[in-house]
Amino acid sequence: MNSMKKLFSVPFICFILCGTIVPMGVIAYYGLTDREGLFTLKNIMEIATVDHAKALGMSLLLSFLATTICLILAFPLGLILKDSKLGKKGFMVFLFILPMWMNFVLRTMAWQVLLEKNGILGGLGIINTPTAVVLGMVYDYLPFMVLPIYNALVKIDNSVIEAAYDLGADYKRVLFKIIVPLSVPGIVSGITMVFVPSLTTFAISNMLGGGKVNLIGNIIEQEFTASANWNLGSGLSLVMMIFIVISMALIEKFDRNGEGNMI
Amino acid sequence: MKKYGKLLYLGIIVLFLYLPIFTLMVLSFNKGKSMSAWQGTSLKWYIEMFRNEEIINALGNTLTIALWASILATIVGLLACIGMNAMRDKSRSFFMGINNIPLLNADIVTGISIMMSFMLFGISLNYASVLFAHITFCIPYVILSIMPKFKQLENQTYEAALDLGATPLYAFFHIVLPDLMPGIMAGFLLSFTMSVDDFVITHFTRGAGINTLSTLIYSQLKIGVRPTLYALSTVIFVLVLVFLIFINIASGKGESKISAKSASKEDYDYKGSSPFKKFAIIFGILVVIVFAIKFTPTVPGKVTEKGVVYVYNFGDYIDPEVVADFEEETGYSVVTDYFDTNEEMYPVIKNSSARYDVVCASDYMIDKMIKENLLAKIDFRYIPNIVNLQENIRHFTESFDKDMSYAVPHTWGTYGILYNTKMIKEVPIGWSDLWAEKNKGTIIMPNSIREAYMIGAKMLGYSINTVNEGELKEITELLRKQKPLVYAYGNDNARDLMIGNSAALGVVTSGEVLYAMDENPDLNFIVPKEGTEVWTDMWAITSRAKNKEGAEAWINYMLSEKAARKNFEYLTYGIPNKKIKDLTDNPILNPSDEVLSRCETLKSLGSKGDDLYSKYWKDFKS
Repeated sequence: MNSMKKLFSVPFICFILCGTIVPMGVIAYYGLTDREGLFTLKNIMEIATVDHAKALGMSLLLSFLATTICLILAFPLGLILKDSKLGKKGFMVFLFILPMWMNFVLRTMAWQVLLEKNGILGGLGIINTPTAVVLGMVYDYLPFMVLPIYNALVKIDNSVIEAAYDLGADYKRVLFKIIVPLSVPGIVSGITMVFVPSLTTFAISNMLGGGKVNLIGNIIEQEFTASANWNLGSGLSLVMMIFIVISMALIEKFDRNGEGNMI
Repeated sequence: MKKYGKLLYLGIIVLFLYLPIFTLMVLSFNKGKSMSAWQGTSLKWYIEMFRNEEIINALGNTLTIALWASILATIVGLLACIGMNAMRDKSRSFFMGINNIPLLNADIVTGISIMMSFMLFGISLNYASVLFAHITFCIPYVILSIMPKFKQLENQTYEAALDLGATPLYAFFHIVLPDLMPGIMAGFLLSFTMSVDDFVITHFTRGAGINTLSTLIYSQLKIGVRPTLYALSTVIFVLVLVFLIFINIASGKGESKISAKSASKEDYDYKGSSPFKKFAIIFGILVVIVFAIKFTPTVPGKVTEKGVVYVYNFGDYIDPEVVADFEEETGYSVVTDYFDTNEEMYPVIKNSSARYDVVCASDYMIDKMIKENLLAKIDFRYIPNIVNLQENIRHFTESFDKDMSYAVPHTWGTYGILYNTKMIKEVPIGWSDLWAEKNKGTIIMPNSIREAYMIGAKMLGYSINTVNEGELKEITELLRKQKPLVYAYGNDNARDLMIGNSAALGVVTSGEVLYAMDENPDLNFIVPKEGTEVWTDMWAITSRAKNKEGAEAWINYMLSEKAARKNFEYLTYGIPNKKIKDLTDNPILNPSDEVLSRCETLKSLGSKGDDLYSKYWKDFKS
């Protein structure tokens, strides 16, 4: 019976194979060869050159900041929504998914308009600085932090929390000894869902960084487009995949049931 | 008090999320085209939106792709969840891990890798390839939505049903599926949203004639996004909002009591028959909307006797009326696709992943394509209107296309400095003014390699096509010195920033000047004294064109006085046509021979040259 059931995943495996594994193989092929098609590790080692390493460092720094801010914003939000009547799942998804119906390019352009020297928020003077890029990242990826944390929080059985209070714990203790530990899977999912896309973005830094904030995503994009050096672009992408693998390992570690907490 | 604090916090986050959206909505009522200057309230973009066939088509594509992709992804994802739950823990974890890859991967890597795989296996890009890519990136969302619901299933009920004589299929549909429904619905809606919102992956996997709203918006960045798209986004947004509120109210009745009491049991409020109903309502409405749009009377690509001409052009780079005139007068029908930069167009033509007859490209790209045999020689017996072409442009195009045998100019112009007469005391005279300390923080430089290096080369008196490493090093140093003075490096938005008085000096092409001066009368333009780049965007026929006659007819038509006049009035870019000199005879669009003598045209540098520029550009940017 069970072996029959397993067959249901065949279409999925086909899609994974054709849509993910094979394309990754193609990237690996390009990344490990030069323009003439000969094997080389040069494209991968390129990450160590000053320009690339600097851009990677900047990307890591900005996406770290963006992730931290998202976490700080999202956790209290999750708590508020868990306790409030508004916390119906439909409403939550509604509130945070709805902005995505405005096109991504247009939403980011709108921030550009707001932050520009003569814009409504021009007084902040952050346009064309790394701060604006972090703001863009937080804006675009906050939903991906809020939803998994919220999902993890609502799963916590209220009777556990009540029991803790009955046994004399104060709010602080309940928060750090019960609520936070139990929401770790959601937090980990949220962190990876914000960190990885922030790390590889190029559109946000282009539009809000005024071309002055150079991230690794911009370099990869440049290699794939303007410089038409797909081999180098693929090589650098392969390096970026290390971060994806680390994220997957983290999720795996905190989410042993394999049920996924991302959404 | 504490409660108000919480509400305030929630309010601030919601404001943060919705502020840009509100901005776009307001801008959609702006009379002018600019993003930064308010010129009065008007509904004209809404009216234009419903008249624009391209927008309606793109909307249709966006929605059909999203609908099909989310339906198929939901089915595949649901089956996968059933299958994976029958697996051992280890293999399940493995597949769940792989499932995460498309979510975590950079969009550009996903998009390009799928495109490269298609090319490698000789699969041509079309509607189906976009759909395939969308299904691929939607499946993970579906699985992640459904999988947790499986955990919450109570197996005893299912087994009890079997014990009571239900077939596994019957038990599945009546016991298991209703419990999974909230997850299925969330996955479906999430897929739909992600598919609508996607730009990068669609961009790389689409074939000829396939545009979604995202790619349409992006393709307009070169000329400036038209507010019709803000109008469209606003309409979509409001529709979705109303629709979701409606759903929420409809399904919330009678159930909200339970869910309000205990949020942790929120899943219970979906139990019973309502999830099916709810799903059916959402689904039904979606299908109706999609087909209503898809089958509005503006069905494109009416194939006429003479066949179809496939045109690949920069976004918004000819007057749509000219296309209609061409179809009417010659009997060909036209399918146009758009790109934003030469570099996006090149791999598509090179790998013939989508086959086009006529392509518009810039000088250096034409040079490269001629060298790589991607273009066919034009038979000028069929281009009698070539006599209308301005003679002085030949000097520039002949530097790479001798005797003009492969490409015919569509537009041309120079790069120069747009400046704000109110913000700058002294009129700038050359590039060196962009290095003057007094102009700090008011300068916009180009964010593209060749244009930035062109400026540096001209300042130092080198050729703009230099591949001498020493010279490139010097230029890089020069650009680096300027960095603290620059407000932004931008291509598409330089003009808008100048119109909105955010900057005082901006490098723009002469084609943007008339429009900018029209929107902001304080602006003026000079061609720098050191000399500059003359650029030409040209029509050429691809070597694998299926309809060469049609392509030649197209080029001939573009050279006609009527087309040139309309295109000029639509674009205000310089059009090198003798017959419309009455419109273009001014020093901005037609510089004197003396000025032109100091100008050069970009040429292709070859892959070694490209790598060299790329290396120094990255060095400068870091």
